[in-house]
Amino acid sequence: MITTIGLEIHVQLATRSKMFCGCSTAFGDEPNTHICPVCLGLPGALPVLNATAVQLAIGIAMALGCQLHEVSEFSRKNYFYPDLPKSYQITQYDRPIATGGSLPIATAGGTRAIRLTRAHIEEDAGKSMHAADITLGGETLVDFNRCGVPLIEIVTEPDMQSGDEAYEFLRSLRRLVRWLGVSSGDMEKGAMRCDVNVSVSPDPSRHGTKVEIKNLNSFRSVKRAIDYEEQRQAQCLADGTPIPMETRHFDEALGTTAPMRSKEASNDYRYFPEPDLPLLMLGAAELASVREHLPELPWEMQARFESEFGLTPYDAALLTEERSTAEFFQRTVVISNNPRKIATYMETEVAKLLNERGKTLSETMLTPEALAGLLTMVESGIISNTASKDVLPLLVDTGVTPDEAVRKLGLEQVSDTSAIEELARQVIIENAAQAEQFRSGKEAVLGFLVGQLMKKSKGKANPKLAGELLRKLLG
Amino acid sequence: MNSELPRSLDQYRRAVRTHVLSPTEYLQETREVIEQNDPQVRAFLHLRLDAAISESKAAKSSSLLAGAPIAIKDNIMMAGEPCTCGSLMLEHYVAPYTATAVQALLSAGAVVPGKTNLDEFAMGSSTENSAFFPTHNPQDLSRVPGGSSGGSTAAVAAGFALGAVGSDTGGSVRQPAAFCGVVGFKPTYGLVSRYGLVAFGSSLDCIGPITRSVRDAAIMLNIMAVHDPRDATSLRHAPVDYEASLQPSLAGKRLGIIHELQGLDVQPEIARAMEDARRAALQSGASVVEVSVPHILSALPAYYIIAPAECSANLGRFDGVRYGLHLEGRDMTETYSRTRNAGFGSEVKRRILIGAFVLSAGYYDAYYKKATDVRQLITDELDLALQSADVLLTPTTPTTAFKLGAVSDPLEMYKADVFTIPANLGGLPAISFPAGTDESGLPIGLQLMGPRLGDADLLSAANVLFTSLGGAS
Amino acid sequence: MAAIIDSKTLEHVASLARLEISPDQEDKLLNDLENILGYVAQLTSIDTSSVVTKRPAMTELRPDEVIDGLTREQGLGGAPAMRDGFVVVRNVMGGEDE
Ligand SMILES: [Mg+2]
Ligand SMILES: [Zn+2]
Repeated sequence: MITTIGLEIHVQLATRSKMFCGCSTAFGDEPNTHICPVCLGLPGALPVLNATAVQLAIGIAMALGCQLHEVSEFSRKNYFYPDLPKSYQITQYDRPIATGGSLPIATAGGTRAIRLTRAHIEEDAGKSMHAADITLGGETLVDFNRCGVPLIEIVTEPDMQSGDEAYEFLRSLRRLVRWLGVSSGDMEKGAMRCDVNVSVSPDPSRHGTKVEIKNLNSFRSVKRAIDYEEQRQAQCLADGTPIPMETRHFDEALGTTAPMRSKEASNDYRYFPEPDLPLLMLGAAELASVREHLPELPWEMQARFESEFGLTPYDAALLTEERSTAEFFQRTVVISNNPRKIATYMETEVAKLLNERGKTLSETMLTPEALAGLLTMVESGIISNTASKDVLPLLVDTGVTPDEAVRKLGLEQVSDTSAIEELARQVIIENAAQAEQFRSGKEAVLGFLVGQLMKKSKGKANPKLAGELLRKLLG
Repeated sequence: MNSELPRSLDQYRRAVRTHVLSPTEYLQETREVIEQNDPQVRAFLHLRLDAAISESKAAKSSSLLAGAPIAIKDNIMMAGEPCTCGSLMLEHYVAPYTATAVQALLSAGAVVPGKTNLDEFAMGSSTENSAFFPTHNPQDLSRVPGGSSGGSTAAVAAGFALGAVGSDTGGSVRQPAAFCGVVGFKPTYGLVSRYGLVAFGSSLDCIGPITRSVRDAAIMLNIMAVHDPRDATSLRHAPVDYEASLQPSLAGKRLGIIHELQGLDVQPEIARAMEDARRAALQSGASVVEVSVPHILSALPAYYIIAPAECSANLGRFDGVRYGLHLEGRDMTETYSRTRNAGFGSEVKRRILIGAFVLSAGYYDAYYKKATDVRQLITDELDLALQSADVLLTPTTPTTAFKLGAVSDPLEMYKADVFTIPANLGGLPAISFPAGTDESGLPIGLQLMGPRLGDADLLSAANVLFTSLGGAS
Repeated sequence: MAAIIDSKTLEHVASLARLEISPDQEDKLLNDLENILGYVAQLTSIDTSSVVTKRPAMTELRPDEVIDGLTREQGLGGAPAMRDGFVVVRNVMGGEDE
C-alpha cells in the first residue's frame, strides 16, 4: 500500500495594499471597510498590478529554486460564488511566473527535497462565514476585506508519502516565508492555506485515485485529514469499494472527511487570458536585484551551523527556525567564539526566559554583545553559571551591559584567596566530622565542603578556588 | 433653435471666449431643444438639466470646453448619477465614482446634460436593445439611430449636446455616427482610459467622441487622451495636439482601398460616396493605392467569438449580491439565475451563452483560441497594409439607417458590422465621417482607419475628406 | 450535419453562466445559437499554424501604497441584505468553495 500526497498551498504575500487596488490588507478590521470599486468588482473598475506583490513572489520562487519566467500571463478563472465579486478570479494559468524548484524537508530517512510543479500569483477571494445552522434558509455572511489580497500559490509534485511529511513540508515552507519576510505564514489567520491531494494505491508503481481535501485550517488538520484519508482509502481498497475522484471536506470536530456537494456545473472554469492586464515581464535587472537581496536560506544556514560550528542537527534546526534567532546566534559567535556553549545557553536559559516573557528574541533588549559578554564572564570565573541566570533577566528586560548588571546585583565572584581561605577554615571547624572523612581518603566529601563554603559566601566564591584551598588546608 | 447659435464645439468655444455667448444662455437654449424634441428622439435615459445649468454658471470661458454640454453614454460612470447600461440589471444603480475620461472632460469645463440611451450593455447596432425604450434617428424618426451609442449620436445630431461620449467595441461609435450624420471616432486602443466604462469586450472596448465635425473630435480627444494609472492597458505616449495636427490637404498621403472589401454588397449611394471620397483625396494631393488584407472578412466571425467570450466573464459580476437587481431564490444558484434571467435582455443572454460556450471545456481551442489566432493574423495583415497606405478608406456601414424593427435576425444584424470590426480587432484608430446622403436623404458615413497611435494623422486625413465632401469644419 | 449545440449542451452552458432557459425560449435560442456558432465556425478552415500571438507587456505596475477606497455605504449601500457590516446571502455551505 502506497500513499501519494501532493499539496497546493496559498501563501498571502505581505504587502500593504491589495494585489490590484490600493485597499489595505490589514487583517482583523471591521468587515467591509477595506473596499473600493476594483476589489468589489463594481462595473467599470479595472485591476492594476501591485509591484511589491511581484517582488515578494519572485523572492519566494527564487528561494525555492524555481525557474522564473521572463514572460508570464494573467488569466480569468470563472465561477460564481458570493465572495468572488467579479465572478472570476484573476490568477495565472497557462503561463505562471515560475515553474519547478523544490523545498527540502526533514524526514525519518534524512533530508529530502520535495519537488514543486509551479508557483503562480493570484488574488484572494473575500471571506465567507457560514451560519452554524446549515439547513435550508441558513445564511452566509461575506466580508470583502480579504478580497484581492495577493497570494502566491505553490503546487507540489506528489512527492510526500505521509501526513507527517506533509506537516514537515508546511513547517519548512512557513519557516521560509517568514525567513524571507514575505508572509506571516499564519495558518490560523488564513495567511497560509493548504489543499491536499491524497491517493492510496496497492501498487507502488502507479498512483491511486486522486482525492482532494479542503477546509484545512491548521498544520495539524492537514496531518489529521491525511491520516484519516489514508485509512479510509485503504479500507475502500480492502473492501473493494470504488474510490471516486472527488473533493472532500475535512470536519475539524470529527477528524473525518466527507464529499463536498458537487454542483452540476462545477469545474469548468473557462480560463482565458485576462484582457485587462498586459503580459508581466521580468527583466534581468529586476531578477538580479532580488537575487542579490536574497538572504542565506534557512536550510543553508542550518547546514553551515553543523559543519562550521559543530552543532548537532537538532541544535542547528532549532537555531534556524527563525531568521532573527539564527542571525543573533551567528553574531554572538562572531564576538565570542564558543558556538556550542552559546547554542546551549540560547536553547535553555534564553529560551526559558523568552517563553516566560512571551516574547521573541527581537522583541527584547538582549543583544549578541551582551550575551557574549555574559558567557565570557562565566567562562573566566567572574560570575558563576548559577549567578548568570540572575543576570540574564536584566539584559533581556533593560538592555544594560553584563558588567553593569553584575555590579548592580553585587554578584562579582570572590576570587580573593585570603577571603576564601578564611571561609574554608571556618567550614573545616564547623564540619569536623566531614573534614575527618576526607582526610581518611573519602574524596567525595570535598563537594559537600565546597557547597558549605559557597553557601557561606552567598554564592560569590569562585568554586574552583574554594575546592583547591579546602584541599590544601585538609592536606 | 436660434440660427446664430454655434453649430460646432469649436464655434461654441470661440463664441464663449469672445463673450458673444454665455454658457448658461446656451444651455438654456439647449434645454428648450431637448424638451421640445427629445420626447420624439428619446436620446436620453436621464436628464440633469438643472444641475447642468447651475454648473454652467461656474464655467470659465477660458477653460478648454467652457461649459459646453457633452452627453455621456449610460455605460460610463459619473459619480452620483445613474448608470444603467440600458439594462434592468442596473435600473437603479448610481455610480459611486467617475470614469477617468469623463473626469477629464469635467475638469476641462464640460457640463453633462444627461446620460444617453444604448443597446443593453452596448450589445447591439440599433439601440433597440435598450431595456427601457428605443432611440429614434433624428434625421428620420421611423429609423434607428444605430448603436450601441445611439443615444449619444442622436443627442449630437439633434442638437441636444455639442459633443458626446460613446463606447466602441465593434463599431458602436462609428456605425451610429454614420446613421445619424455625425462624426464618430474610435481612438487607438488604450489611448483613452477605460476606467469607469462598463466592460463589454475588454480587449476591444474604446471610449470615443461623437461630434459634429472632425475638428471637434480632435478637440475632445485632446482632453480625453490622458494616460491613466488606473487602467493597465492605458498607453503612455508623448503628448500630441490633435487639433493643431489637422492639415489642410492630403498632399503626399497614400489612401488605401482594401481589395477584399470591394466585392461586398453595399447600398449604391454608399458606393458612390466612396468614389467621391476617392476623387476628393486625389484632388487634395493624395495617391490612391489598393492594399490587401487577405483575412479581413474573417474579422466578423472572430469578433463574434472574442467579444462574447469576454462579455460572458465581464457580466458575471451582475449576480445580485452587492448591487443591482436581486431576485431571491431558494439557494444561491437559484438566486443567481433568477436575478440574471430577469436582469438581462435576450441579446445579452445570447452573447453570454455564446461566450460561455466558446470558452468551455472541449470548445476552447476550436473557437476561442482559433479566433484569437485569426485576430492576430488580421492584425498583422492590417499592420502590413498600413505600411503601403497611410490610411484605409471603407464605408462605415453597408446601408444607411434602417427602420425600427426591420432587422430581427441577430446574425443579419451582426453582419452589418463588417467594416467597423477590423479596427477593434487590430486596436487601430478609426473614424466615421458624414459623406453625403442617400436618395431618401439619409446620411452616409465613410470610415478611415489608421495605424496604432496614428490618431493625429487619421483625424487630419478625415478632416480633409469631411470638409471637401461638404462637412463644416 | 450534426448540430453544434444541442439542448443538453445549452443547458450546461446556461448553468455555467447562471442563466435560466425557459422551455418556450429554448427552440428559438437553440436556433439562433446554432446559426451564430455555425457562422463563426468558418474560422476552422483558416490555417493559423504559423501565427505568433503578440500581447503587449505591462509598462508600469502600481506602487504598494494604501489609498482610501469607498466607505461601506458607498460601496455596498446597494446590497440587498447587510448585517453587522457583512453582506448577507443564502447559505452556500458545501458549494463550490475555492
Ligand atoms: Mg489558486
Ligand atoms: Zn480595493
